[in-house]
Amino acid sequence: MEFVRRNRILLTSGVLLLVSLLLFSVSTRSPAYRDPIGHLVLDALAPFQVVFSWIGRSVGRVWTGYVDLVDARRDNQRMHERVATLESELLRLGELERENARLAELLSFRARFEGTVYGARVIAREPGPLAMTLTIDRGERDHVHRGMAVLAPQGVVGQIAEASHTAARVVLLTDHNSGIDAIVQRSRARGIVQGGTDGSCYMNYLNRDADVVVGDRVLTSGLDGIFPKGVMIGEVVDVSRRHRGLLQAAVVRPSVALDRLEEVLVVDATAQVADPPA
Amino acid sequence: MRAAAVIGLVAAFGLLVQTTLFHALPFGVHPSPDVLVVICVFLGLHRHTAGGALGAFILGYLQDTVSGTAAGLNAFGMVVVYLLVYLTCRRLWVDNVMSKVVLVFLASCVKALAVLAVSALFGTFDGEWGPTFSNVLLNASIAAAIAPPVFALLAGARLPEERDAR
Repeated sequence: MEFVRRNRILLTSGVLLLVSLLLFSVSTRSPAYRDPIGHLVLDALAPFQVVFSWIGRSVGRVWTGYVDLVDARRDNQRMHERVATLESELLRLGELERENARLAELLSFRARFEGTVYGARVIAREPGPLAMTLTIDRGERDHVHRGMAVLAPQGVVGQIAEASHTAARVVLLTDHNSGIDAIVQRSRARGIVQGGTDGSCYMNYLNRDADVVVGDRVLTSGLDGIFPKGVMIGEVVDVSRRHRGLLQAAVVRPSVALDRLEEVLVVDATAQVADPPA
Repeated sequence: MRAAAVIGLVAAFGLLVQTTLFHALPFGVHPSPDVLVVICVFLGLHRHTAGGALGAFILGYLQDTVSGTAAGLNAFGMVVVYLLVYLTCRRLWVDNVMSKVVLVFLASCVKALAVLAVSALFGTFDGEWGPTFSNVLLNASIAAAIAPPVFALLAGARLPEERDAR
């Protein structure tokens, strides 16, 4: 009896281990075995399990919501960065596309010329009341010299006023020092296109009885030995006849957007337009 | 009586937490803390009576009931844990938090191994041993981590002389 009392825990544990194994054996070997106590426990715990599950799911939902929010914020930031990158790329591609179109136009314009023609990029411009000029990236190194004509696909730009080794300065046709021998396409009336001090352009020295009306196109005559014949200069937008005198003048709007030029052609005196407009 | 009530309440709460709350949380792998094994270690440390061993058996039996395993499996594991903790604390002084945490870790491993051994003996285990052992270690670590607060909850169930001895 003393032995049992002293080793009661070991004995109880041993008995319980045997009971456990017996229970396990019965419950695994007998498919029909039903545990009545287990069912009672399950029934007793079920309502509490419902409540705890609900709490767990609620906490889970809050947690998932928070994680989703963090993810959404991160995604949002990533999307913003992506949009910025794509916009920048789009801008660059748009710019390349426009440049491509301009160069293609320039190339096709260049094909119309017979003679020496050089392509050049505008690298600087100095528009001011006294000097309407721009600088191109071609100089004497590229056989660009003073006096050569500068053209764009839309028409006359100006002429080379000064050429260094690697660059050249172009006096625009709107500069008051510029002078281009020109004719009115429709009536063949002849005059000199000169720049004003206000950035506009005039066709001066027209005979008083010359037939010039608004809308007439003004072309180079080719008689000045600088510009090839038949290149568009601009369009007459106003005609002014004074009460007295032998001459009249016309205001000409240049066909080239001189303030947005990026590429030009430099043409020497020998170059001719292959198919000049009538 | 008060001690049994405290242990019963903590066991019921632990059982509910480990079977419902943690499974509903979105932690991905759902490692469920084995609160009952901590209580079993507590019994082995502080209840050196036949009632203590019976308590361990009941804890395991409850776990079998709610976890869906065959009745007796976890009961066997719990009684083994109780017995080993009882035998250990007869020879070693286990009272500080760190030693209890280590004991819970080892107890959790022992319980899992006992359960696996019985399952293998009866031919009901058909899983792979590698992942099973890593799972055992993970669950043992979680059980060890939750041991201090569970022991704190169970402090009210210690014998008056044990509380005075502190």
